Amino acid sequence: MISQLGDGFLALAQPLSFLHLVGGFLLGLVFGAIPGLTATLAIALLLPFTFGMDVADALIMVAGIYMAGIYSGSITGITLNIPGAPSGAITTLDGHALMKRGEGTQALGMSALSSAIGGLVGVVILVALAQPISALALQFQTPDKFSLVLLAVVTVTIVASGPLIKAVVAMALGLMISTVGIDPMVPVGRFDFGSYHLVEGISLLPAVIGLFAVCELIAQSSIPASLGKAVAVATIDRPRRRDFLPSREKIREVGLFTFLKSAIIGVLIGMLPGGGASMASFIAYAEAKRGSRHPEAFGQGSYEGLAASESANNAMCGGAVIPLLTMGIPGDAVTAIIFGVLLIHGLVPGPALLGENFHVIAPMFAALFMASIFIFLSMMAFGPVYLRLSQINRGFLYAFIAMISMVGVYASSYSLFQMWMALAIGVLAFLLRTFGYPVVPTLMGIILGPYLEEFLRRSLIVSEGDPTIFLRSPASLVLLGLTLLFVWLLRIRPAVKRGRAEAAS
Amino acid sequence: MTRLLRGQVVFALGLAALNTVYASQLLQMDRPFANGEPGPAFLPLILCGFMYVASIIIVVGEFRTAAAARESAPQSDVISRIALIGPALTISATALFIVTFFYFGYLVSAAVFTFIVSLFFNYEKSGDLKRSSLIALITAFTVTLFGWLFFVKLFGLYLPVWEL
Repeated sequence: MISQLGDGFLALAQPLSFLHLVGGFLLGLVFGAIPGLTATLAIALLLPFTFGMDVADALIMVAGIYMAGIYSGSITGITLNIPGAPSGAITTLDGHALMKRGEGTQALGMSALSSAIGGLVGVVILVALAQPISALALQFQTPDKFSLVLLAVVTVTIVASGPLIKAVVAMALGLMISTVGIDPMVPVGRFDFGSYHLVEGISLLPAVIGLFAVCELIAQSSIPASLGKAVAVATIDRPRRRDFLPSREKIREVGLFTFLKSAIIGVLIGMLPGGGASMASFIAYAEAKRGSRHPEAFGQGSYEGLAASESANNAMCGGAVIPLLTMGIPGDAVTAIIFGVLLIHGLVPGPALLGENFHVIAPMFAALFMASIFIFLSMMAFGPVYLRLSQINRGFLYAFIAMISMVGVYASSYSLFQMWMALAIGVLAFLLRTFGYPVVPTLMGIILGPYLEEFLRRSLIVSEGDPTIFLRSPASLVLLGLTLLFVWLLRIRPAVKRGRAEAAS
Repeated sequence: MTRLLRGQVVFALGLAALNTVYASQLLQMDRPFANGEPGPAFLPLILCGFMYVASIIIVVGEFRTAAAARESAPQSDVISRIALIGPALTISATALFIVTFFYFGYLVSAAVFTFIVSLFFNYEKSGDLKRSSLIALITAFTVTLFGWLFFVKLFGLYLPVWEL
């Protein structure tokens, strides 16, 4: 494994692979930093092009986008009080307060350093845990696999924003879309309405482009530019690159323990289906505040708070990849699209992936590691530019996204039908968003639906229709127990607490 | 009834209608466990039943929380009813792009598509039609050229040019 990992780093030394890493990293930086665009969108737009790429290069590029996109959400959060991505929302609290105090360059530097440390810790834990978890997952029987997929489906649904019933409807819609086409177990077409286009089912690519790129284009066109305007509260005249280096005093103020603790929280949350960067940064921030000697400074410009949230959200990247590669369970939208990249190249994410194809995946691990280092280097290189990044013309930006997403769908399938499908799913996603239904559960439903259905039906065939088969296996029982625990912790308990507080007031 | 509430109810009923279209296909499948196995209709049947129940819960819930649902749509200084006109325009432009892509090829359709999208966003921001048109022209040229170089020259993919 170590030698294959070394080969992964050597692969990055190839000029073309290195260019993919740098290109992906820069794409992620730009998309993450611009409000309204996300790393998810960048990877979704990249998906059609991966057809023509070597699988290792595609994964290297995705890793670069992922790491940079999660990090750069904090850049405009710090400078303009508008987080470029949801993962930068918590960082904005302290980062922008520091910006207002005229410490913007130090805040940006600390954000980059924390993200780099978090990213590196995440990758180290990923490398350490990936193969042991894969070996464990290989022991899973069909009922265990069903309970695992159910855990992912339920968790992604309950952590989605907004009313639970709408999140469940969004997930059900995704599962319904996944049932269109040839049945996974019996060779008959379903829900094709007599159209030969639908017999093949709805491909992942138009679904991803529709849910994220087309939906974003439509949604942005309904928002006036004036709503996106923000006033930069502190202008920094001609900042020098060395101004972005966090001072020793600031690093000591945060402390190594906070960096590492937050990173480990980030990895653990990343491993949970539906965890995501926002939740990682929020929980690490809350934990840092709880353990801080100066909790009163949090929200007022605390380097400790800023470092905790940034360290956690980049550590999440390594954590989120663990269930995808070891068990075939994508935990969030980005890993769901990485799932698609692997499938496009004939690799099935799951326990056998690392055993049989570690040499293909190793460059991605190396790319995540290098991208973490790039985060810090990029601050030194582009720090002054970051202060102007959010000023890109909206018309240019969305014209570019519109063209690249629709032509990308065509180029991957040479089918006008798939373009119509992307538009239809985009309109549906826009309506879902408008009426408060989260769209990430829909994507997860589309991806996990075939697995959920197959494992459910196989288990029931084996048990001759007896549903207690899911309670007879210890692994399945544990996973179902975890599902119930998450439902209790994330939905029922907060609702009960809220109810009591309202009754008391 | 507020506009948002009406929209929420109509959307929930729309989902129920879509569900009915989906459910109509279930009639062509064997009943679950008819052959002793769950069969292809098993999961879709559960999903259909759930969607009907969920639609009812959402509609009832929306009426109960009607008082809290008073939200106003964002207003633009330049384009009135932007929350309606913006999406209608981008959806129409995308549909037009797909149609013209087949008949007129990539270069014409992409140039028109990106021009419309860019013009809309720039005009909405500045209110200056002349300046916005100029920026949109430059954007259309740049983005279309970039797309051609990227897809055709760099990746060697086929894009239709002029199929009439």
